[in-house]
Amino acid sequence: MGKIVLGVGDYGASNSPGDEVKTFALGSCVSVIFLDPKTRTVGMVHVALPDSSINKAKATEKPGYFADTAIPALLTQMTKFGCDKRGKGMVVKLCGGANVMDTNDTFQIGKRNALAIKKILWSYGMGAVAEDLGGNYSRTVVVSVSAGQITLSSPGKPNWQL
Amino acid sequence: MVKQISQEELQKIVKSVPMLSPSASKLLQLTSQADHDLVDVVNLVRNDANLTARVLKIVNSAAFGLINTITSIDRAISYLGERIIVGIAVGDCAGKLFEKELSGYESARGDLWKHDLRTAIAAREVVTQSGADISSELAFTAGLLHDIGKSLISDYLQGSVTDAVEMITAEEGFDYLDAEEKLVGFDHTRAGYELAKAWQLPNELAEVILHHHEPSNASEEYRTLVYAVHLGDNIAMMGGFGTGSDSMRYKLDQQYTDYIRIGSKTLATIMLNVDIEFEKLKGSLTGSGEENG
Repeated sequence: MGKIVLGVGDYGASNSPGDEVKTFALGSCVSVIFLDPKTRTVGMVHVALPDSSINKAKATEKPGYFADTAIPALLTQMTKFGCDKRGKGMVVKLCGGANVMDTNDTFQIGKRNALAIKKILWSYGMGAVAEDLGGNYSRTVVVSVSAGQITLSSPGKPNWQL
Repeated sequence: MVKQISQEELQKIVKSVPMLSPSASKLLQLTSQADHDLVDVVNLVRNDANLTARVLKIVNSAAFGLINTITSIDRAISYLGERIIVGIAVGDCAGKLFEKELSGYESARGDLWKHDLRTAIAAREVVTQSGADISSELAFTAGLLHDIGKSLISDYLQGSVTDAVEMITAEEGFDYLDAEEKLVGFDHTRAGYELAKAWQLPNELAEVILHHHEPSNASEEYRTLVYAVHLGDNIAMMGGFGTGSDSMRYKLDQQYTDYIRIGSKTLATIMLNVDIEFEKLKGSLTGSGEENG
C-alpha cells in the first residue's frame, strides 16, 4: 500500500492495486486523471499553467507544469505500464481549475488551464467523461488504483466522488 | 462553539502576543522608507548578536550552495538582500504566530508561514513585472505580514469552518471576511490592524494589513502597495498555498487595473517565478514544505 504524492508540475502512474495517487490543494491548477481499464493503471498530472512558451527550460525540466507538455509526458509515462501511447481506451477525468472573481478575465488561470488541457486532449482524440472544475475553493484529490475511485475534499465541505 | 470576541477581548489577545524585538521593529521602520541606506540596515543587524548569528547561519546553509563560507555580516546582507533580512528578523520574534496551526481554518502548522512567504514573493514579482512605481522590497515585507490577524482569531473560529463555507455558498457576494465578522465579530484584517498598532508598524504596513482584501479603501498614497499585496495574496491562493478553509474565498478588487498593469501572460510568468523562488527560500527562512498547487 503506497501513496504517490504529486506536487505542482509532477506526474505519476501506478498499477499496484494498493496504491493511492494524491495531490494537495489544487487552486487554479488542474489535475488530469487517466484511468486505463485494460491495464488497470491510474495516471495523474498536476498542471499549473496553460502554455509552455513562457519558459521552455522549465517545460523541459518539469513537463507536467504546462498543459501542452503535461499530457504527452503523462502518456509516455503510462506506456511503461503497457498503456497505449496515444491514450486509446483510457478514461479521462479532470478536476481543479478554481478561479477568483475577475471580470476582466486576467486572473481566470483556472479556466485557461482547463481549456488548454481540453484542446490538447482533443488533439489525441480524447475527451473527459467527468469533470469537477471551477468554483472558488481549493481541492485535494485522491485516486485509489484498485477501484479507480476519485475522492475530492475541500475544507468545510463533505468529501465527494468524481 | 464559536462566540463573539469583544473589543476588550481583542485587546487582551493583542497584548498576549510577544512584542517585536527592537531590531526587527527598527528594521521594519527603516526599510519602509523609500530612500534608506543599506549601511543602516547592516549597522542595525550588527548590533543584534542573535540576528547576526542567524543571518550568517542562513547564508551559509545548503540552500544557497555557496562554495566559500561568508563570515562578514556586510557580505551576508548584500548577498541575501534586505528583504530576506527583514524576513529573518520578523520570523525570529513572531515565528510562533506565523507557525501556529490555524485550527479555526483547518489549516496545518506552517501553512500560514508558507502562504505569507508566497504572498511576499508574489507581491514583489507583481511590482517588478508590472513596473509599478513602488519599492518591491517593501511589497515583500508587507506580504509577509498581511495575514498576521489570522493567528489572533483562529482559536475563536474553531469548529466554524462548515458554517463559514455554507454562509458563503448560500449568499451572493458573501466572502470569508464577512463570514469571520459574522462568526466572531471581527475579521482577520481588523484583528491584524490592532496588532499592527500595538507593534507600532509603519503606516503603509498597517494599511496593507487592514485593507489587503479591499485595497480601494486604503489611503491613496499607499494604494498601489496594498494592491500589489492583494494580488500577491490571490496568486498565493491560486497556486495552492492558502490557509485552509478560506483559500480562494475572497473577492478580487476589480479596481486593481487602475494601479497595477498586468496581463494574463505576465501573470503566468509571475506564478512560475513564485514557484521557483519559493523553492529556494522555503527551507532557509522557517518552516518546511508539503507540496501544493
